[in-house]
Amino acid sequence: MSAGASFRERAVDLALRRATVIIFAVVLLYFGMQAPLFLGVENLGNIVKQSAFLGIAAIGITLVLLTGGIDLSVGSVMYLASLAAGFAMRDMGVGVAGGVLAALGAGALLGAINAFFIVRLGIVPFIVTLATLFAFRGFGAFLTSSRQFDFPPGLRSFGLASVMGIPVPVLVFATVAVVAHLALTRTTFGRQVYAVGNDATGAVKAGIPLGRVRAAVYVISGATAGLAGFILIAQIGRIDAGFGQGREFDVIAAAVLGGASLFGGVGTAFGAVIGATLMQTVNTGLAFSGMNLYLQPILQAGIIFLAVLVDSLRQSRQMLRRRRTIRPIQR
Amino acid sequence: MRYSIRTAAAVAALSLGGAFAAPAQAATICFAFQDLETEFWVAGHLAITSTLTEAGHTVLERNANEDANRQFEQVNDCIAQGVDGVILIPQDGESATTIVANAQENDVPVAVFNRPPSDLSRGIVVVADNAVIAEQAVDHIVEKALAEAEEGATLNAVIVVGDLGDPNAVGRRAGFNSAIEKHADRFNVIEVASNWDAATALSNLEAAVTANPQIDLLFTSSDFLFPTIRSVLEPRGMWVPRGEEGHVWMAGLDGDATACSLIKEGYVDATGVQDLYFEAESALNAILKAVEEGNTDPNEVIEDPGFALTSDNLAEREMDMWGCVLLAEGFLDQ
Repeated sequence: MSAGASFRERAVDLALRRATVIIFAVVLLYFGMQAPLFLGVENLGNIVKQSAFLGIAAIGITLVLLTGGIDLSVGSVMYLASLAAGFAMRDMGVGVAGGVLAALGAGALLGAINAFFIVRLGIVPFIVTLATLFAFRGFGAFLTSSRQFDFPPGLRSFGLASVMGIPVPVLVFATVAVVAHLALTRTTFGRQVYAVGNDATGAVKAGIPLGRVRAAVYVISGATAGLAGFILIAQIGRIDAGFGQGREFDVIAAAVLGGASLFGGVGTAFGAVIGATLMQTVNTGLAFSGMNLYLQPILQAGIIFLAVLVDSLRQSRQMLRRRRTIRPIQR
Repeated sequence: MRYSIRTAAAVAALSLGGAFAAPAQAATICFAFQDLETEFWVAGHLAITSTLTEAGHTVLERNANEDANRQFEQVNDCIAQGVDGVILIPQDGESATTIVANAQENDVPVAVFNRPPSDLSRGIVVVADNAVIAEQAVDHIVEKALAEAEEGATLNAVIVVGDLGDPNAVGRRAGFNSAIEKHADRFNVIEVASNWDAATALSNLEAAVTANPQIDLLFTSSDFLFPTIRSVLEPRGMWVPRGEEGHVWMAGLDGDATACSLIKEGYVDATGVQDLYFEAESALNAILKAVEEGNTDPNEVIEDPGFALTSDNLAEREMDMWGCVLLAEGFLDQ
């Protein structure tokens, strides 16, 4: 391998590893040039606030992706868990803190239902979560007769409040990110999640409780989706039947943009934060610059496609490296 | 809330007249709707189902939950069960055209309620002229905003656009543009996508307001987004009633109970009203007439002229708006 080729190789590797950061920088620069206010503190703060719900759910689904699984029910869990919190607040009189706990609990319960079918019954995660995507939303529609549901007024005060100038949704987002990062990097559970995603058979041989780890990530994904939905509703005060619909794709895209691999074993909590923030930056930038409404979804889709493409390229190169060769590969 | 809606539906049923009191023959009607997401659809659904049921007809209800393909299958299922007619609230204009054509090919008459198919030549189509109604509502706030503005000043006008796959959203956008174009030199238009989704509207409107901190006029393509708009404007001190410094002239479209309440409180200035009860009555009359006559492919466009309820005509026309009727019945008191 020549020195030139080696340098090129390293540069490509670096670009693929840091693709999200590079895309992020380009997006910020582009929209900043279109409108200087875009890079203002207020707008950047809004971007982080608006990406909070997506980011919280993306952190949860990153854990699922790390184990090589998938959770398509995220959007429906957002809806149903938030609805459960709404009923608890309106009919049982629990406050905002109780609402948060209800959303977390309901989300975890819905995640546990996914886990039961995937781990206990051995059904493929894609099929299980596709089914629960419809089942959970259908149950929510049954509970409300598809009608909008108004939360008690106190919830909006919570959602629009700030602590030392930092909006509450951002604080919740940061807390979830730090806790998830510590769990993934400093705990046995975190190491087990990566081990299961990298080599499930090897993980079993090493004595890792495969079923327990896989069940745990679906429960966590459900809980974070429930919390994400609640945080978003806290800013609006009203939930309608379409709430969260299709959001599972945004959440998965955010996780993949943040470096999580759809094949398992690769990804971080902070990566999900960056992915979600990048997606929101693109959305905000398009709205900010007054882009033609018909072109906006095309550009959003372009970013998601780019993310999947980068993930695919990264995987191909990893596979190439792992392949055993008798002689060094001639380039 | 449930009691209030039922009461309102009963009022609506009574207002639909005695035409359904003693049907010549009991019919089985398939009522396929896309969802009940907003107050308009909830009230429309109850007006139609309760009127049909009370008149002795059988109603097969099918909720597509915003899935056009599912709705197509649901209507097919209804046809297979031998229904006499179909009342359809479609997900979008294209799928509506397909469903209407399919129903007529199977000799089942179909009436499309409120959201028109892209091809108006087939089926009974009951539709409000969204462009005209939106224009009336926007005309009102344009006049108010211009009367208040300094002479020659350029004003920022925001439109929160619906899902552009929905002909209602396209019509409302066209109506807004028509009103603005009468004073094109006075307005800078800012379009905000909502896709009929509160979360998308929240994020995009916040971005638009940050980019353009001075908003003089705002039109939302549906009244159901007013709570979301409030969440963006209130923290910026822009959610202020009429007559107070910083009031943003606002209008919507639908005529729901929330809009009625906000017009009374002074936060909203106008809303385009679709005459829900007229539309429900027209759809029912037309489909039952077709069933009775054995006409399997009735083709007719029935237009709801609608009107704009404004802060100026509130006293006279309040009870012409279905949302104000619901409000008076306690719809928003949970």
